[in-house]
Amino acid sequence: MSKRSILALYNNFDEAEAVVKELRTTTIKGFDVNDDLIIKSPIEHPEVEEFLGNKPVNIQWFTLVGALSGGLLAFFLIAGAQGNFYAQSKGGKPIVPFPPDFVLTYEMFILGGVYITVLGFLICAGLPAKRSPLYSAKVSEDQIGILVDAEESAAATLKGIFTKHKALEIQEEAGK
Amino acid sequence: MSVSNLLQNWSTFRHEHPINDKPHAEIKWAMTIDLDTCIGCNACSVACYAENNLPVVGKEKYAHGQSMHWIRIERYWGETEVKEEYDPNSNFDMVQQDFQADQGAQFLPMLCQQCEAAPCETVCPVGATNHTEDGLNSQIYNRCIGSRYCSANCPFKVRYFNWWNYPEQENAWPEPLPLQLNPDLTVRTKGVMEKCTFCKQRTYTARNNARSEGRPVHDGDVQTACQQSCPTNAISFGNLVDPEARVAKQWEQQQVDLAKEKQEKDEKADNKLRGYRILEELRPYPSIMYLERVRESAV
Amino acid sequence: MGKDIREDIAWAQINNDVLKSLENPRKLYWVILFAAMLVFSVGVGCEIYQYNVGLGAANMDNPHMWGLYIATFIFWIGMSHSGTLLSAILHLMHADWRKPIYRFAEAMTTFSLMTAGLFVMVHLGRLWQFYYAVPYPSERWTWPNFQSPLLWDAMAIFTYLSSSVIFLYIGSIPDFAIARDNIHPGWRKKLYSILALGWEGTDRQWRNFRVTYLTVACFLIPLAVSVHSIVASDFAMSQQPGWHVTSFPPYFVAGALYSGCAAIITLFIILRYVFKFEEYMTLPILKKTVRLTFAIAMVWTYLNCIEFTATWYSHDQVAKDVLIQKATGPYAPFFWGMIFCGSVVPFAMMVKKWQTSIPVMFAVSLLLNVGMWLERWMIVAPTYSHGYYPWTWDHNQWPSLIQWGIVFGSFGWFTLLFMVFCKIVPSVSMYEVKEMVYHRSLAKKKEELGLEGGH
Repeated sequence: MSKRSILALYNNFDEAEAVVKELRTTTIKGFDVNDDLIIKSPIEHPEVEEFLGNKPVNIQWFTLVGALSGGLLAFFLIAGAQGNFYAQSKGGKPIVPFPPDFVLTYEMFILGGVYITVLGFLICAGLPAKRSPLYSAKVSEDQIGILVDAEESAAATLKGIFTKHKALEIQEEAGK
Repeated sequence: MSVSNLLQNWSTFRHEHPINDKPHAEIKWAMTIDLDTCIGCNACSVACYAENNLPVVGKEKYAHGQSMHWIRIERYWGETEVKEEYDPNSNFDMVQQDFQADQGAQFLPMLCQQCEAAPCETVCPVGATNHTEDGLNSQIYNRCIGSRYCSANCPFKVRYFNWWNYPEQENAWPEPLPLQLNPDLTVRTKGVMEKCTFCKQRTYTARNNARSEGRPVHDGDVQTACQQSCPTNAISFGNLVDPEARVAKQWEQQQVDLAKEKQEKDEKADNKLRGYRILEELRPYPSIMYLERVRESAV
Repeated sequence: MGKDIREDIAWAQINNDVLKSLENPRKLYWVILFAAMLVFSVGVGCEIYQYNVGLGAANMDNPHMWGLYIATFIFWIGMSHSGTLLSAILHLMHADWRKPIYRFAEAMTTFSLMTAGLFVMVHLGRLWQFYYAVPYPSERWTWPNFQSPLLWDAMAIFTYLSSSVIFLYIGSIPDFAIARDNIHPGWRKKLYSILALGWEGTDRQWRNFRVTYLTVACFLIPLAVSVHSIVASDFAMSQQPGWHVTSFPPYFVAGALYSGCAAIITLFIILRYVFKFEEYMTLPILKKTVRLTFAIAMVWTYLNCIEFTATWYSHDQVAKDVLIQKATGPYAPFFWGMIFCGSVVPFAMMVKKWQTSIPVMFAVSLLLNVGMWLERWMIVAPTYSHGYYPWTWDHNQWPSLIQWGIVFGSFGWFTLLFMVFCKIVPSVSMYEVKEMVYHRSLAKKKEELGLEGGH
């Protein structure tokens, strides 16, 4: 059975919240509220997460791995380089001196953390990506969009719910 | 590879120098300068210019403080301790309250002290200056990028920077002077730091000769240019590890220990020994011992 | 004073106002841009000359190994710190007033770091071999000397620069999407489409965005502190009198925040006028920035006193002499100028009426930065002129015009980069300003809807 995408635009978060609540309470065949629903908003709004239910964020694992490997890499790279570079003493200090190496380890710890966190961001947020065809520039201005992917059969019910809550605009498109 | 290298040689990578460290194995070049015999004739400085291809910068640049003399004769007026007398607000030349015409100026030849724990070495970003196995503070011209941090951290300010392109643009050696340049070492280009090497072209030749003859380097095998030209024999240079060397005997006699920042003899009240090292308390462990001038008042 | 910004601005209005800054600024913008190019070309000319004849052109000499280049390097590094203060520290503290001004402050961070990087290069005797200081594997197994504070500097600046570019970029992605959606077709639209990475504002994107932004902010704070502590280590790790001071790292960090905040006030006033941002860069926000600057000014003054008294009561006669010579010798006018600009002028910020007076604050912020530049010079130069070794004292050295020209040119370079940036990237964060007025606009919308429902 073919799929259909519908985008409804709302004036503010409260209206969008009411729609989501209704979608959650009604069971519609061919539409799963957890997987097929996307909210698009012009600002980052913590309440969206509350009414959408908990969705995991995994970036912190990237951060942890990045920072640790950055620091370890730095220490062994630097100490190894010092051991290999003539192994020649400078200023009477040990050839592998700890204070300078720790300073550099600290810097690389941060560098690795930042880089890998950003990499994790791109992976977790699915960027860069092509915009979905159902995109309205209104979303980047002041409206809240609700995008659903559902079976053809569910489309009519969904549209009904959207109009009931005074959607400003409804766009739809047949999916693949 | 590098990790196993680290693990295997960990203890050698962690030892400090020169305190609690074994002395240099074969050779430790050192110097003694007797200020009592120094007459301030500048022959050492001239010899150094000739031996080490130092550019003559001319009057104007000299006045700007851009001179390149690896060994310089410093002239101090007055016999009392310099530190207690100077007025911090004026140039040193102006401090002449203690000027005594009958005794005249006091001279101090200043050159790189070849410190055992040189402050210049740690700060170089590219590792162009290192402590060598024969106890020198080396300078790798090819590696130097001219950050001048070494000179900034040198308490003696005996490192000289090539502010200009002396060999080519500044015409430091007009014809036929290039013919007198020493072929055993380079002329330095603009933007690198240079300093006294204890005439390493000579010490290496002496070591190579000794090695090909299958013997250790004897005292007297090598003389630095400044030592060679000194008319009063104020400078002695040699291997501090060799107990037969004149330098080693002098250091021994003056009870100056290379690896100490405070000499025991200085603690004693009746100390009559003349040997001292400049700015020892900063812990660079210099390789040059000066012999204090004998004052007339003390005689 | 009222709210930070007028709360009945419609969201669409915010988009319009800010995007306008990308299109038609006041004429003054072009004047500044042109002047910046002129100033920069003076610096380039001087550098070409110095590159060709050698560093002697800067009129440095044996004790005076570092001159204005290093002083100005510290100045620019320092200026970069306040961008992080505004964007990261105040972000974690939920200080909403930072939102309209943090974007340009962060851009200031990035560009002043780039300017500082130039000075490292200009300062080198053999600029063409600068890559020797970069740790890259080579067939000869030669590495830079990791013990050198200069290398820590290079590493810290690289980390800081790349992290703040990333931070700046990540924070601008939603705004690039707005620009992409609204700007007329052309090369700019293509540029914004690429930069926006296909941002749609979905809940998944926002969720990950929030965590990323917070994480990077958390990394940036210790990083910023470490960067200027390391710059302080260039001096504190050395043995020289007047440099070998334990309190240097916090002193440098305070000085950095100080000069950065002053620069933010200057740029605030310029941008506000040039891009007609009166609605967003409002006087209440200026007032808060001014108060913050005043607080940091007092911290700096305190640390200055600490440094002087610690030196005075220590038995380090040589360091004491450097201090005396600094305050009474040929550097005295500059030393006292620094004290005046850095510790006396900020008291003008205590006058309530002046806190929101644009001309007064413009003048004060410029004076503060003059003072902070003098401070850096007074850290570097007097130690050279009066070090450990009396024979090499040199109290009369004066930087050549070439040196001054390059320092002068760096201001052109910074202004040029900054002004071009503001024309291409929205210099007010649109999506965050929307957050500021969200509740108000919500209520307003409800009102309208309620009225409609009544009919």
